[in-house]
Amino acid sequence: MFEDRRIGIALAAPAVLFVMLAFLLPVGILLSGSVTTPGGWGISRFTTFFAEPLYQEVVWRTLRLGALVTLASAAIGYAAALAIVDTSPATKGRLVGLFILPLMISPVARTYAWIVILGRTGLVNQVVTGLGLSDEPLRLLFTETAVFIGLVQLFLPLMVLSLVSALENLPADVVPAARVLGANWIAVFFRVILPLTREGLVIGGTLVFTGAVTAYITPAVLGGSKVLMLETLLYQRVSVANDYVSASVIAVILIAMSVAANALLKRAAAARKR
Amino acid sequence: MSDRNFLTIEKLTLAYGGTVAVKDLDLTIAEGELVALLGPSGCGKTTTMRAIAGLIQPRQGRIVLAGRDITHVRANKREVGLVFQSYALFPHLSVFENVAFGLRLRSVARDELEQRANEAIGLVGLKGFERRLPRELSGGQQQRVALARSVVVRPRLLLLDEPLSNLDARLRLEMRSELQRLQRDLGVTMIYVTHDQSEALALADRVIVMRDGRIAQQGTPADIYERPSSVFVAQFVGFENIFKAGQWPLPDERDIAALAWRPQAVVLGQGPHQGRVLGASYLGDAVEYLIETPGGLVKAQTPASARRFALDETVSLDLPLASAARLAGQ
Amino acid sequence: MRYAGHAVLAAVVLFLIGPFLVIAAAGLSAGDTLTFPPQGLSLKWITAVFGMENFRQSFVLSLWLAVGSTALALLFGVPAAYGLARYPVPGRDFMRSIVFTPVIVPGIIAGLALLRHAVIPLGLPVTTALILAHTVLVVPYAVRVVTASLEHLRTDVEEAAVILGATRTGTFFRVVLPNIRNGILAAFILGFVTSFNQVPVSLFLTGPGITTLPIDMLASMEFVYDPSIAALSALLALMSMAIVMIAEKMLGLSRYV
Ligand SMILES: Nc1ncnc2c1ncn2[C@@H]1O[C@H](COP(=O)(O)OP(=O)(O)O)[C@@H](O)[C@H]1O
Ligand SMILES: [Mg+2]
Repeated sequence: MFEDRRIGIALAAPAVLFVMLAFLLPVGILLSGSVTTPGGWGISRFTTFFAEPLYQEVVWRTLRLGALVTLASAAIGYAAALAIVDTSPATKGRLVGLFILPLMISPVARTYAWIVILGRTGLVNQVVTGLGLSDEPLRLLFTETAVFIGLVQLFLPLMVLSLVSALENLPADVVPAARVLGANWIAVFFRVILPLTREGLVIGGTLVFTGAVTAYITPAVLGGSKVLMLETLLYQRVSVANDYVSASVIAVILIAMSVAANALLKRAAAARKR
Repeated sequence: MSDRNFLTIEKLTLAYGGTVAVKDLDLTIAEGELVALLGPSGCGKTTTMRAIAGLIQPRQGRIVLAGRDITHVRANKREVGLVFQSYALFPHLSVFENVAFGLRLRSVARDELEQRANEAIGLVGLKGFERRLPRELSGGQQQRVALARSVVVRPRLLLLDEPLSNLDARLRLEMRSELQRLQRDLGVTMIYVTHDQSEALALADRVIVMRDGRIAQQGTPADIYERPSSVFVAQFVGFENIFKAGQWPLPDERDIAALAWRPQAVVLGQGPHQGRVLGASYLGDAVEYLIETPGGLVKAQTPASARRFALDETVSLDLPLASAARLAGQ
Repeated sequence: MRYAGHAVLAAVVLFLIGPFLVIAAAGLSAGDTLTFPPQGLSLKWITAVFGMENFRQSFVLSLWLAVGSTALALLFGVPAAYGLARYPVPGRDFMRSIVFTPVIVPGIIAGLALLRHAVIPLGLPVTTALILAHTVLVVPYAVRVVTASLEHLRTDVEEAAVILGATRTGTFFRVVLPNIRNGILAAFILGFVTSFNQVPVSLFLTGPGITTLPIDMLASMEFVYDPSIAALSALLALMSMAIVMIAEKMLGLSRYV
């Protein structure tokens, strides 16, 4: 009954054509701007872009923050996920719900909370000045640290959820077995848990890394023009200077990062199937 | 009155992509007949049923039902019922709605619909279960719903694809006799697919044995059981001692490639041949021996009350030509 | 060891949820500047937010945009998921990856590309552009979630319907749709939330006058120092919480995330 491939093509065609026309085509034209030079095709747009110290710094900062946020999420994520799978099934369900919830809440609202906490008259500064630790309010906003904290809070749930599902699929008795064999907790973690949950770590890490390097709201709100990341730089180049050439180069860099991370994810998923 | 050629299949060839599953199949079924399609897994039984029901298009050939060429008629217009091996009940519908599904599509008036659906539900013994969902039923009950759902629309031909294979042994026997009763009561023409020879022999008016997408033999259950025509069919219906020409003295008849005996047909303790007992297993009501003879290994079965033979004992034995099946080919 | 683990977990939960409590408290402030702890508690700013014309307009636009683009995305995505799941479509994997590209390409690029190479050359109205962009963004979610629920429905159930006399279309509406209803609802909720909270895609496509709520909030942050944005953020968090709780009760949303 499902032999007629023409029916399948007819059903899939609208969605495929829609995505191609309303998305891939314009994005393709935009990206082609990065390799079109006055003298024909070439990579001179990229060399010019990377020659600019400010842009270099932004690329590095984006990669650095992406890596740091991923690392921090992995470390905190393992601690949280191990504690979650240790609870009773009912509690576990509720805790998992608690980690899904923030993902559904507007990231603008989530990020704005940090202004209330880190701002000049915010929570932290009230405490610091109240305790007399500093006469002046500390400048916490518009720093890389603020962006880092905001990004971790935004993307940590993705890591925790991936790790929880990886830990749930752990064979039941490996940890007690390793303990019986005399391994201490550090050895158990690095020799048993980590290798057996590697895929969950890769999946969570990819989600966090791509989320962090392509973030717009957090660097825009908590970093401002002082702590630019690639997306905020792109927005600035276009809205301030109509610089579509740099925009297309940044677009290529962002997509390259995203595609590379997703390729890694695919390989991890393929490894799981085997 | 009944049509001898109610269903006629001519030169039917079915394939999935490049692999041919059924090749040049010819088949005729009379009205009201219960035919069993018997064959090992993978021989093309399901594929044939799906083609008759219209779920796959043949590469070649013709299917004629009650005088109408239905080869290119859509599945929903064929008036052929199919009971799936997996039952395929609608998970979101109650027992009643599952059964009424076909009637609703035929815009049957409400009173008649309720009456016919309830009658079908009663027929399969599920009164009182009308409001249950399929997942709230046991395997046997689901099987009955599938049956009721198929017969309530009064198909001209009812196909059952291994309907009992997912049930446990006791339930299988029970459902087997219910199916027979149902077929008798409704008088519907039925093709019953199975890989279980005892099921086919017990149920059917006629048995068609399939092998690798072709018909190996067809006939009454007695024909198939007593007079298999090939090594394949003989093995399938329980012949253990199959000897080819040269291996065993064969009678000088035309078209005989091999002879076959059931273990019960082998005579022990007398006869022209000699053999050595290699093994003996007690089966309760019988004893089975494995005997080494110059012509090859022979499996024999004697009643438990008969004389016993010890291991390594030399016995005389006879393979009577009268009880041999004459096999024409592989 | 166990207590240490639970202490870490409590700290992590505080880190995730704490900011919402802070912002809720700030939004309930009785004072006129954004401070924490708030200067007294009142519903003043909560009620004030409902009276702010710009937020009301952008909220309505965001709502319609989320509903409209998710509905459109399902209109594209459900048949595509069904066709690709059931029929031997040549190049099926290729088609799937095309439909999933909007997930991989950062939203800001999609928005900019649409603006430069579709909206401006074709002279599309802003709302059309927003609908297009948001629909593209939601299509992958629709396809993914619906595909997952189709995998739970055996194909022979559809064949049984056809044999009983249903047409292909009839089978879809009578058998397939009722059985993937929860998947479609889940896809709708995910799509709605994705579109409603979306910033990067909309960034270049909105302008003065026509803007979505999150973009409007971002823009207002530059010059608004009173607790109104905090109040609004708290309200949005509350709305999402209600959606998640209802969805979890109804369909176990966590299976699809
Ligand atoms: N969907 C399919 N695609 C490809 N080959 C198939 C498919 N279904 C069945 N086959 C092949 O066709 C042959 C006949 O299968 P089938 O009719 O299911 O056998 P049976 O029902 O007798 O066990 C087998 O070799 C099987 O592997
Ligand atoms: Mg079969």
